Amino acid sequence: MKVRCELKVNGEQVIVHVAATARLIDLLREPLGLLGTKEGCGNGECGACTVLVDGRAINACLYPALEAAGRSVVTVEGLGGNKGGLSVVQRAFVEGGGVQCGFCTPGMIMSATALLEREPDPSEARIRSALTGNLCRCTGYTQIVESIRSAATELAQGEEERDA
Amino acid sequence: MSELEYHRPGNMEDALRLAELEGASFIAGGTDLMVQMRAGKRAPAALISLRGVPGLDGVDAGPPVRIGALTRVADIVESAHIERHFGALHDGARPFGSVQIRNAATLGGNLVNASPAADLAPPLLVHDAVVQLRTANEERSVPLAEWFVGPGQTVLRPAELVLDVTLRGPCGGGSAFLRKTRVSMDIAIVSVAAYVRLEAGRCVEARVAVGAAAPTPMRLPAVEAALLDRPLDEATFAEVRRLAAEEVRPIDDLRASADYRRHLVSVFAVRALRAACERSEA
Repeated sequence: MKVRCELKVNGEQVIVHVAATARLIDLLREPLGLLGTKEGCGNGECGACTVLVDGRAINACLYPALEAAGRSVVTVEGLGGNKGGLSVVQRAFVEGGGVQCGFCTPGMIMSATALLEREPDPSEARIRSALTGNLCRCTGYTQIVESIRSAATELAQGEEERDA
Repeated sequence: MSELEYHRPGNMEDALRLAELEGASFIAGGTDLMVQMRAGKRAPAALISLRGVPGLDGVDAGPPVRIGALTRVADIVESAHIERHFGALHDGARPFGSVQIRNAATLGGNLVNASPAADLAPPLLVHDAVVQLRTANEERSVPLAEWFVGPGQTVLRPAELVLDVTLRGPCGGGSAFLRKTRVSMDIAIVSVAAYVRLEAGRCVEARVAVGAAAPTPMRLPAVEAALLDRPLDEATFAEVRRLAAEEVRPIDDLRASADYRRHLVSVFAVRALRAACERSEA
């Protein structure tokens, strides 16, 4: 039996109907078709499902869908603004070689976005610490960290978001 | 199709009443419960979300310091009062899980889940934490030292809600916590918390607790007795190393052998005491 759930996703009010057993990741991927949020482990360890709920990075695979009612969720699809472009962080990953297979990338970008909102000038050590909950099997993390550093620099310089 | 019910009570009375439903379980951050449900270890018929119940979260400096059960680990990390006066708790909260886990996981959940390796437990034990509990009919308090009865087992009663934890202090001493993991997001191999208060260079109060070195988080009374009225010098530390390794009851498991755990406990007990001592003088 499905239950009505009303919440804000990427700035828009949405109404969906989900099973009481559904997790936030299920709500985002199925009725809403937002496939950027990935299920890597389903246990809150890999971070591929990282989204922002009320401004805080959380694992969508552990968050009950019905708990999100009345709350504001941001996914990787919601970072680029209304014109559908890329945010500074997203662009930095693309240009910085921070993407290989891409599976960890949305979660990495969400964690990086959350980090830079709180700490605009993080050291490499702080970046690595903030990414403790985001695993990558491809890159060895070096270019992910560099991408985030260059995004921090660009944001500090006040660059405007550009279309993809 | 599962018939799980998901409730979001807006006040404590409703939450406590719903808790009496057959097969009901409270859910806070869900970082342990959701994993256990997925693994088939827990199968509640109803989940009662505590996130909408007011008055259950936050750090109140008091005195006594009161930390609501729904306080997220991230909020414990950000509490300046806790960092300054309850250093061990800050040390335990800071590397807890990951950013994502800390933004959901709660103090109450960590205590109710009662892993022998619970990172918040040794810090709370060295600060003489007391747990406040409520059911629809009764309120009670349980010293944390009496809370854990086995791996994953506590004295929590059916339909009982953890309200908050109170801490003794600040009393003028200092505390610290160390843990050993294989990688940054991992369950502790061992952990040690220490609290000391010094007067004229001698230890007048000492509390030491360990995690992941026994069936439950535990205090080390023999180590504590050996510290009293002694200066924290090499002779005392040699005694601490010996007693700590003897007093713990670790197991061999996939993370480490019991022998290695004993060794780590003796090393970390001294390191935690040194760090607590430095904070005590600060």
